Amino acid sequence: MRVDPPPGRHGQSRLTRRDLLFPGARGDRPRPADSGTRWHIDPTKDAADRPALIVLLLRGGADGLHIVPPYRDDAYHRARPTIRLRPPNDRTVAKTDRCIDLDGAFGIHPALAPLVPLYRDGSLAIVHACGSGDRTRSHFEAMSTVERGLETADRGPRTGWVARYLSATPPATPSPLRAVAFSDVSPESLRGAPDAVVLRNLNEFRLGSLPHSSASEAWRAGLVDLYARAADPVAPAGRAILKAVAAVQRAVAAASSRADRVPYPASGLGAALRETATLLRAGVGLEIAVLERGGWDTHVAQGAGGGWMASLLDDVARSVAAFAADIGSGRSRVRVVALTEFGRRVAENGGYGTDHGRASVALVLGGSVQGGRVVTDWPGLDPEDLEGPGDLRVTADYRSVLYGALRSLGCEGALSSVFPAFRPVVAHSPFLVE
Amino acid sequence: MRRTRRAFVASAGLAAGGMSAGCGEASRRAARLRLGAAPSDLRPTEAEARLLNRAGFGPSPGDTARLREMGAVAWVDQQLHPSSQEPPDLLLALSRLDALRLTPMELLDLPAGAVAGQLQQAALLRAAYSPWQLRERLTDFWTNHFSIDVRKADGAYLKPEDDAAVIRRFSLGRFRELLGASSRSAAMLTYLDNRDSDGRSPNENYARELLELHTLGVDGGYTQRDVREVARCFTGWTVESRFLRPRGRFRFRPDLHDDGPKVVLGVTIPAGGGLRDGERLLDLLADHPATARRIGAKLVRLVWGSEEPAWVRSTEHVYRQSGGHIGTMLRPMLVSARLADAPPVFKRPLDFVASALRATGAVADCGAAVQAHLQAMGQPLFEWPMPDGYPNTTEAWRGSLLARWNFAAALLRGEVSSASTLTATMARDFSRTNPRGAADVLASRILGRQPDARLVEIVARTAALGGAQAAIALLLASPEFQWR
Repeated sequence: MRVDPPPGRHGQSRLTRRDLLFPGARGDRPRPADSGTRWHIDPTKDAADRPALIVLLLRGGADGLHIVPPYRDDAYHRARPTIRLRPPNDRTVAKTDRCIDLDGAFGIHPALAPLVPLYRDGSLAIVHACGSGDRTRSHFEAMSTVERGLETADRGPRTGWVARYLSATPPATPSPLRAVAFSDVSPESLRGAPDAVVLRNLNEFRLGSLPHSSASEAWRAGLVDLYARAADPVAPAGRAILKAVAAVQRAVAAASSRADRVPYPASGLGAALRETATLLRAGVGLEIAVLERGGWDTHVAQGAGGGWMASLLDDVARSVAAFAADIGSGRSRVRVVALTEFGRRVAENGGYGTDHGRASVALVLGGSVQGGRVVTDWPGLDPEDLEGPGDLRVTADYRSVLYGALRSLGCEGALSSVFPAFRPVVAHSPFLVE
Repeated sequence: MRRTRRAFVASAGLAAGGMSAGCGEASRRAARLRLGAAPSDLRPTEAEARLLNRAGFGPSPGDTARLREMGAVAWVDQQLHPSSQEPPDLLLALSRLDALRLTPMELLDLPAGAVAGQLQQAALLRAAYSPWQLRERLTDFWTNHFSIDVRKADGAYLKPEDDAAVIRRFSLGRFRELLGASSRSAAMLTYLDNRDSDGRSPNENYARELLELHTLGVDGGYTQRDVREVARCFTGWTVESRFLRPRGRFRFRPDLHDDGPKVVLGVTIPAGGGLRDGERLLDLLADHPATARRIGAKLVRLVWGSEEPAWVRSTEHVYRQSGGHIGTMLRPMLVSARLADAPPVFKRPLDFVASALRATGAVADCGAAVQAHLQAMGQPLFEWPMPDGYPNTTEAWRGSLLARWNFAAALLRGEVSSASTLTATMARDFSRTNPRGAADVLASRILGRQPDARLVEIVARTAALGGAQAAIALLLASPEFQWR
């Protein structure tokens, strides 16, 4: 079950140079002996113990070839003379300019070193040459495609896939914090979900007061009454917020009494993951959190082992590693999927950066993940393998990854409405098939 | 009843005396006096409120009075031709902002965050207190159309000049001039990386957003090849960085320009054009039917609240007839008698903050305190991380309700403003008259329309239990006040 390659050139029957270079890179590699993270849904468990999905959107077009470089391929080194990462065993350069080997064909950026132990213990998988059908190479079209769960942005529902998932799987015990986004504005993936909550941080998520307690009480009571009227289109959002405020403050109170806090990076993503862990621990019924990290539009001065992109990856790696340590044994009921809207041109440009391209990587971490491997139908980097202006072809649809993640949450039946007219490819998703 | 521009500005009678950062007791007193002199019981009609909400940032007592005195058509025509004059109080507050008086090179002595804060302060002060409301509304619109995140590279130092010499200068003028000024703006050349593009290996960032966001739109009929050809046209368009030259200004470097022939959208741009390549291309884009349609539709959405097909067609037509003159495209919608019936628009945080200050006659310096609230609502100005500008859908912003409620509470706590007579006036009214009557007056004044009975009942009860302050904070936090 894989994306059908064009006849002749990429057929499985023919042994190609790619097969020699990337012996395991077809998605059919055996999983490590013990992933240790198998998780089964127990219908008797209440909302507090339900599995949760964390979606991390890397906005701006994160360069998958920089995150997980195919270091064995000469074409990679030729295309990126300045920004390439050197092979793991290249002793002519400092260690910080070499990638860390993953499987003998692909390496991982040295700034992601904090995630390597998770890869080695089987909790982290990489899906490479992953992306959507969007060919506009526009940030906004491509991200809209991903957030709405579509092939391309120009056709399909206007609602977000997270919103469709929420309406397709109504919980037995309703929670005001079933879906949250840590963001300045509501992400498109939640469009159409009336009860999703947008947060910046948990401490800010409380009602203000007026100088006298009688004024405060009257104002708060008035708010409840005003938003209880059904007529206004934003009234449901107001009601959802009023309910969520109470739930968040309970979670914050529970968290502040906890002594062993894991240190997170002092970044927006670090804070958002810390807050997510707080909500997960508080058992408020959180099922999906949408987080984001921007800044990946590296048209100039992308850097190699250090520099702009390395600092972004450093933030992601340390934030996610802290999150994994923080939730500890709870990791088995949490999945993290990190996606971007597109990857970047294979060849670097004159500003030592990269322009908009096609395929990138998805990072997948947590319970039910068959990790410790790079899942890919590798399309190759030779000129005849590339698409359009010189871009890595997409061979794994990002929806296969999300489909696997949602199915591992235990809701296979509803998925046809979440990703309409889509047939997932199981081999492209590193989640356990039950 | 024609009034001179000078008289217009002088009569603005802004309650802005206390808006400067370090205001003393004397200026606060002065502000209160002037506020007291403003017509305090003027309730905008629904049509007046709608026009002030679409052409500007909502009704204020002074602007409602002027609009009523002049009539809608004369008021709109005056707004279409703003002067550079501002009322003295606003001028005084703005004159203290280094970001508005110094060159990019001089600004480098200040921390970037301070410059960005001042730029934001100026935008807020003008939105809340300038009588030239239409220019401020269009400035916000073009700021988002040609969006620049000041946190990238030297953006904070370069954006003030872009704001003054590109966005404000041409916000009601010709689109081609606005586009041309933006293409040479050091802030834009830096933000979209064109300053680092050379003929050997062009950078596509500016080229792509120029086609997709600034002109044709993503469905405008261009290809990936066009993107590359446009990038070639703009190679060598960079920023002066040589010693003893006007650093931070536009510079064309022929040595970095790809001077070969190009084909864009089927049009051949012959070899050897140099700097003219880019200018020819901008002409081509500004004259393109897809640009007329897209800019027309965006302006219709701005004023009308939806892309009403008849207005889109006629505005697109006016674009072509007027050579892309922005004010001429706006006028028919602004003077239309049907504007009051156009669909409501959910306020963005900036709209909400400015309209709340205006509705309550609050005197705010628009410094760190107001900006912190704006950030909590998700719209710290000039910091949208992508080049498409802050979103304008209801969906994107309804998560910001809690932060809006908390701004309303902070405003009534006196944390973000130094004076508002509204509270005192209303406290008096609530004690003198029947609470329902007072609640009805207050609600229609703040909301700019006749409130429904249930809302009046809730406001009256809130006033009875918590006082006028609680009632005003409640109205600003109401679902009704979130729309314009």
